[in-house]
Amino acid sequence: MIQLSFLDYSAVEGKSFLHRLSPMLKIIGMLVVLFVIVTVRSLPGLFLLYVILLTLFFIARVPKKIFSLTLYPLIFAFLFIFLSGFQIFFILLIFLKVLCGSTGVVLLLASTPYPSIFSVLGRVLPSTFVMALFLTYRSVFILLTVLEETQHALYLRGGIQWKHPWRSLINISNGFGHLIIQGIDASEKMYESMTLRGFKGKIHYRGE
Amino acid sequence: MSHIHFPDGVLPVWLWASGFVVAILVGGILLRLTKKEELTRRLPLLGMMAAIMVLGASVEIVPIAYHVNLTVFSGILLGPSLIFLATFVVNVILALFGHGGITVIGLNTLTLSIEGILGYYCFRFFWRVFRRLTPAIFLGTFIALLFSTFAMIGVVSLGTSHYQELIHQEGKGIFEFHLSKEKEEHHPGEAPEEKVNLRRFMAIVLPLGFIGWILEGVITALIARYIYRLRPDLLRLEKEVP
Repeated sequence: MIQLSFLDYSAVEGKSFLHRLSPMLKIIGMLVVLFVIVTVRSLPGLFLLYVILLTLFFIARVPKKIFSLTLYPLIFAFLFIFLSGFQIFFILLIFLKVLCGSTGVVLLLASTPYPSIFSVLGRVLPSTFVMALFLTYRSVFILLTVLEETQHALYLRGGIQWKHPWRSLINISNGFGHLIIQGIDASEKMYESMTLRGFKGKIHYRGE
Repeated sequence: MSHIHFPDGVLPVWLWASGFVVAILVGGILLRLTKKEELTRRLPLLGMMAAIMVLGASVEIVPIAYHVNLTVFSGILLGPSLIFLATFVVNVILALFGHGGITVIGLNTLTLSIEGILGYYCFRFFWRVFRRLTPAIFLGTFIALLFSTFAMIGVVSLGTSHYQELIHQEGKGIFEFHLSKEKEEHHPGEAPEEKVNLRRFMAIVLPLGFIGWILEGVITALIARYIYRLRPDLLRLEKEVP
């Protein structure tokens, strides 16, 4: 989640053909990728899709640092090894499905600024839902800044030490508590400033 | 733990599609019951609590592959109708980062909101019984997590026949690709194929889950204690004190 700001930076500053493509087209492309993931059940087919997505990833000059994000969901895919009774075909199928999905999504987010994505979504989904999605995404950035400060404060007060698990647990919980209070304060300020700017239950994106 | 970390294309279409239909229906009804002014006023808080849930979910406790959800605590702060919308939003964002598939968002919303809504009511109940914050929060969280984990296992078990189909049908599907492998013929009388082992899955999930429920119960209780010291108004308990 810490790499979120880097992802956003890549989406705004990137200049490749993928960055210039219309957000609507990219979302449709993502839906096609999703359709293939859901319907295709053969290893060569999914492998082909993964190669295409990887090629797009490197052609679009998405920073290599972000690539690790596409591998993160594999952590959860390991449970399937036990569910399948160690069937190699099934495990490879699941791993390829996971990699195709995550690479597709990371490509979309690293090449499209989030207001553009929400603007497209706002045309097809209920405004309350898109607004909640937008505010959550925005809040993640606010909280990441608070989290950084909280981590420093925690470090100065002993941080997380495996030798003292109870104290560590209290420190982690106090850190989360501090994050929640700061977050709620920020949300109250956000609501006041939104009301001042004429917010009446709908956010209007640029270009609408 | 109640979050289904299934990627896309694993659960049968009927299952995830019904998850979406039920989630949209429940969400629609709950939003209709919420006053528009109340919703508009609390939307920034909803966004912030959803963001805290997203951050909580990104902190992995590596040895037991567990992450805190903070759904119960968010449910206590937001109330039962807003927590549903919050879990929907959280699942969309988590799915965008590969934390569960995009097609599983509906089912994940249902299981996670069970946690949030049940946690809210359990906490209110135990608060009335004990009049003490720490046991009320701990028990509320523990019970909510227990139920939502079983809801998750229920969802996983509904798709068992589909996993077996996936395991044993190499190369079949809507689109077939035979670039490298000839289709094998199966004759009657061959050794029976190994079945999906749901018991093994439960044997892994439940003990790890149990550690997680206790851990999350303790963390949630400690967070609540910290917040009660600094901002007791957020828990809205004053009006319930006799």
